Amino acid sequence: MKQSIMMFGILLFAFTALRSEEKITVKGSDTMVILAQRWAERYMAEHKDVSIQVTGGGSGTGISALINGTTDICNASRPMKPAERDKLNERYGTRGVEIKCALDGLALYVNEANPVNELTMQQIKDIYQGKISNWKEVGGKDQKIILYSRENNSGTYVYFKDNVLMGEDFSASAQNMPGTAAVVNAIAKDKAGVGYGGSAYAKGIKEVKVKADDKAPAYAPTMENIKSGNYPVSRFLFMYVKNKPTGVLKQYIDWTLSDAGQKIVGEVGYFPIR
Amino acid sequence: MARKLLRTTIAVCWVATISVAQQDSTARERLEELKASVESLQESSTEVKNIVDALRKIKVSGYIEAQYRSTDIVNQTFSIGQFSGGAFPSNQKSQFQIRRGRLKVAYDNSLAQMVLQMDFLPTGFTLKDAYLSLTEPWLQSFGLRMGVFDRPFGYEISYSSSSRESPERSRMFQSLFPGERDLGAKLFFTPQIGNLMWLRADVGLFNGSGANANEFDNFKDIIGHVAAQFPFEDAGAEIDLGVSGYFGNVRNNTKFLFQNGEPAAGVKGFTVDSSLTNIDDGVTRRYLGMDAQLYYDVPSIGGAIVRGEYIAGVQPGTATTTVSPSAQPTTALYKRDFSGWYINYVQNIGDKEQVVVKYDVHDPNTNVEASNFTPNSNLTVADIKYSTLGFGFIHHWDANIRFVLYYEIVKNEKLDAAKIPTASSLFPYTDDVRDNVLTFRIQYKF
Repeated sequence: MKQSIMMFGILLFAFTALRSEEKITVKGSDTMVILAQRWAERYMAEHKDVSIQVTGGGSGTGISALINGTTDICNASRPMKPAERDKLNERYGTRGVEIKCALDGLALYVNEANPVNELTMQQIKDIYQGKISNWKEVGGKDQKIILYSRENNSGTYVYFKDNVLMGEDFSASAQNMPGTAAVVNAIAKDKAGVGYGGSAYAKGIKEVKVKADDKAPAYAPTMENIKSGNYPVSRFLFMYVKNKPTGVLKQYIDWTLSDAGQKIVGEVGYFPIR
Repeated sequence: MARKLLRTTIAVCWVATISVAQQDSTARERLEELKASVESLQESSTEVKNIVDALRKIKVSGYIEAQYRSTDIVNQTFSIGQFSGGAFPSNQKSQFQIRRGRLKVAYDNSLAQMVLQMDFLPTGFTLKDAYLSLTEPWLQSFGLRMGVFDRPFGYEISYSSSSRESPERSRMFQSLFPGERDLGAKLFFTPQIGNLMWLRADVGLFNGSGANANEFDNFKDIIGHVAAQFPFEDAGAEIDLGVSGYFGNVRNNTKFLFQNGEPAAGVKGFTVDSSLTNIDDGVTRRYLGMDAQLYYDVPSIGGAIVRGEYIAGVQPGTATTTVSPSAQPTTALYKRDFSGWYINYVQNIGDKEQVVVKYDVHDPNTNVEASNFTPNSNLTVADIKYSTLGFGFIHHWDANIRFVLYYEIVKNEKLDAAKIPTASSLFPYTDDVRDNVLTFRIQYKF
């Protein structure tokens, strides 16, 4: 018995010793991928000895990667769900550390030729549930509305569903696009299209002003309106790590929250948290 | 001459105009063709996307646990039984085995799920899970689950074997809930948004006979669990607390019901009730439990987990076993008061390594102790108390593979050798039976 214990102990030690390299991997939200890439590029330019690898895939994918141990930092455009926290707890004994790193207004995109300039939250909900199916019902042309949405592993999708559709389902006719850039590209070409995503992506399309209700004023997703809380569809962007960050990881995260890192947040089109 | 030149010029212009018009017409036709091709491609792409979206709802996962186990001596079958990974075959004190070979297929349509899980082993395959879950669309907090699934009692039952740090569950759970699952239906409350996200509750009605057996009596068992989470974000900690209850019955097939008492003056053991009314009557199966989990992020080391559970109650069994029956017991039923508990400490060291220590106790008959075992007491091997100290090391090779090295020191309470005849089946328990188990396991999970 003692021999068996020793044999397997040595075997395990050998396996452990073979695997001990460290690098920073960042995975998750497609909304945040441009921001994360800019951060990584700038940080690596200033710190030649650090390698940062950034990939997207969606907030859900990033959180799964954090739970599976295949990423150091998870970018998420929505908070972690209780079930995801539970999985992290079970595997690592921690709830994870949530770091708010930027503010984003979730913009509603239409084609530049679309005469509709503002919508209420209820109208947006009805549009995405198929209850309003023609632009003329909200002051536009007599044209069928083409819905563009995101895939369900996207934090943007989850945020929109929870906060605009109030947890209810999307219309079956909504086309799921693989990323915010794909939504923007589709709407730039589709005069009847409507989509949603981070305001940082809003190039070549028009962002509709949003009203909380019929009587409220309409607000565009600008920094002032989002920071003041007037724009009804704004959210934090998060970084999640498993444990309290230390070493290189801590230095990098601290830098993203510093003036230099937050300046990049503004350059990319999001809003600094400080 | 001038007129001739004019005529020629007009003719050339006319021919050129016709030619340009023809070219324009050809280009327009080609453009139309291209447009049609693009539209056709768009249609195909939408069709493919719809198929991919539908396929994305199907989730396939699974894991295999291949392991090497060894124990102290050969033919030590009277103690380990179904515990510590199962009895060793005759004349063996070590073996390679596939402990679990699970394949799980789920169809997840957001508010409705269907799950099928099988366990494929060299000895055959068994159904582990087969259920459907429905969540109401308004608050997305309440739901119904029906089929074969984990019984909602305590923490360790529903903590997946693929994640659990010790190779097996605590002895009390293996005895009270063999196979963990049962056939039934439960209502659950698991809020995903709002102010009650810290609360979970489950209550259900079950056959009570386990996952792979038909119901054998007319009694349905009620099982419930309520848990609350208390996170302390700034401290990097969380405490989860839960309480559970099991209220059921097992049908008595005989007129004999043995209960704790004094079969002879001054002798602790069982007395028998032989009333005819005992036939078909339900013998109480009742457990109350509490569980707690503490999570703490130890700076610079990793997350630490302390889990503990305590269960006490009344368990119907037979003379020789207290394991919950999956078929109608044909012999007399024995009603025992029992208790059991465990405490489990897991320390993560970085992302890859875990050290685990676990201690569990199962006392299947709390009314007796070692000195009460005598030839007149009617007590059997089923009444012996056990404790198990386990410790191990886990290395996570990558997201899929982990290695587990775990050693269990299994202790039975030592009976009084002066009171037990050497020919008695109890005699081996006058000393600690040599049934410690070493397990080396490799798990692949996807």
